[in-house]
Amino acid sequence: MISERRRSPRQVLARLHSRHVLHAYLFIAPVIVLFGIFRVAPSIQTLLYSFYKVELLRGRFTFIGLENFYSLLTDEIFRKATVNTLTYVTTIVPISAFLGLILAVLFNAKFHLKEFFKAVYFSPMVTSTVAAAMVWWWMYNPQFGIFNVLLKLVGVPEQPWLMSSHMALPSIIIFSVWKNLGYNMIIYLAGLQAIPQQFYEAATIDGAGALRRFRHITIPLLAPTTTFLLIYDTILALQVFDQVFVLTGGGPAGSTNVVVLDLYRQAFERYNFGYAAAEAMVLFLFIMAVTILQYYYSKRYEVAY
Amino acid sequence: MVRSILVPVGRLSLYLVVGAVAALMILPFYWMLITAVMPAPDILAFPPKWIPTRLTLEHFVAAFAKAPWLTYYWNSFVVAVGSVSCSLLFGLFAGYAFAIYRFPLQNFFFLLILGTLMVPVQVTSVALYIQLSKIGWVDTFLGILAPNFASAFGVFMLRQGIKQIPVDVIEAARMDGAGEMRIVLTIIAPLIKTTLATVAMILFLGSWNDFLWPVIIINSSDLRTLPVGIALFKDPYGNINYGPLMAATLISTAPMLVAYVISQKYMIRGIALTGLKG
Repeated sequence: MISERRRSPRQVLARLHSRHVLHAYLFIAPVIVLFGIFRVAPSIQTLLYSFYKVELLRGRFTFIGLENFYSLLTDEIFRKATVNTLTYVTTIVPISAFLGLILAVLFNAKFHLKEFFKAVYFSPMVTSTVAAAMVWWWMYNPQFGIFNVLLKLVGVPEQPWLMSSHMALPSIIIFSVWKNLGYNMIIYLAGLQAIPQQFYEAATIDGAGALRRFRHITIPLLAPTTTFLLIYDTILALQVFDQVFVLTGGGPAGSTNVVVLDLYRQAFERYNFGYAAAEAMVLFLFIMAVTILQYYYSKRYEVAY
Repeated sequence: MVRSILVPVGRLSLYLVVGAVAALMILPFYWMLITAVMPAPDILAFPPKWIPTRLTLEHFVAAFAKAPWLTYYWNSFVVAVGSVSCSLLFGLFAGYAFAIYRFPLQNFFFLLILGTLMVPVQVTSVALYIQLSKIGWVDTFLGILAPNFASAFGVFMLRQGIKQIPVDVIEAARMDGAGEMRIVLTIIAPLIKTTLATVAMILFLGSWNDFLWPVIIINSSDLRTLPVGIALFKDPYGNINYGPLMAATLISTAPMLVAYVISQKYMIRGIALTGLKG
């Protein structure tokens, strides 16, 4: 320390700068090494194992080429899981975004207890999906659950909810909308508050009504927010697992089976690791497709304002 | 005239809509709470008892008799604290390097880190499990922590935070002879404590609620985290006993809900600004 003080500040800086490359590598080393071992390597291995028959207990790895993927093509259960996942994604994403937008518009007005209501709407978001789904599992109970009790009180026929292969997936979607609505609302609210007030004032002077102002100012200027939400929600929805595991376990009759649940079953209940790796690759392809879409869309909106 | 009527009507309908949706949002929490504290016959009463007339702790006693909830708490806590503190410490140094230094392959390494966000644990779980089984980390705390020792999101957020700091601050510290390590820990860290707290909160929440990876890597019941404990508490053979189940759910969600009630404004802002994914 003392010897460094004696040099001129310029010399000290020069010395420090030359040492910075070393510092830089030293500082990023923990993250790079940990990610290399626990994130990057397994990513590559997933691709690799998808071409293998993996027998973990015997420690035997047999190369079988594209056989896992061929089997996937004729696997009715996996096909159903993929269709269910895509149905889930294409319903929950627009519904959450649409309802989130409407709520955000309401919350953009000034009213009493706004912060309290905001906190209430957001509370499912911070709750564990497993715990929340467990409560819904009880509420969906066909005999004593609150939903059917309420229907009975107003004289509507009781519904089978999770017990029916037609209603189980919609029931899971309703749960997920409840869980994610607050997030969509908060993001839209932030987007709304970023729109300059002058646009609305100018449009009002020009005689545009509330609905036209919403259609021609709010919607277009929220486009970047909408894009972000749709992409983010889609990527998360593709990975849906927790609520399906708790609410239905994929049933009845595979009507709510999803890709990650099937992957989990194949790998950790039936020990078909190679086959599960191939399923994981299919999931990855979906995520990659959405990410590429995001890349192009975010470029388009870079000059939105 | 018309306007003076329309405005209060609009106000009223606003409150009606906002209030009705709020009731729907809160219903599951309320239902969990009253199911947990009502005697068994009252739970199944028709019409439903919205306000419990008799209170009981029997369901909590039953829940504790069936599963070691304090152990689950401890496990969740250890895993969350472990992953948050490692992610913050490593992320702070990596974020500093990416924000302040210029070095060969900088962009490559940065994109490599961000690229891991595209390959979530849902995709890598199979290979990660095989890898960890080779080094004996299956069914250990280290195994649960393995994919969460560092966080790409953390590195990114901390780099953004450090970029806001004027370079003069760092230059001045260097002139005073402070080493780089000391600069990061004693000068940078306090300056970005808001970012650090936000990242810590989001990572803690993510770890606390994480389910898929823990349920894969844990076999023994004394290593279960809270979500795993809850999910496996449900009787798979349909033997319905909702009181203890809701008591267990309440036990596992209560701390996070209390933390949320205390700091909701801050938590909502943090999550809205950064997204939730760890």
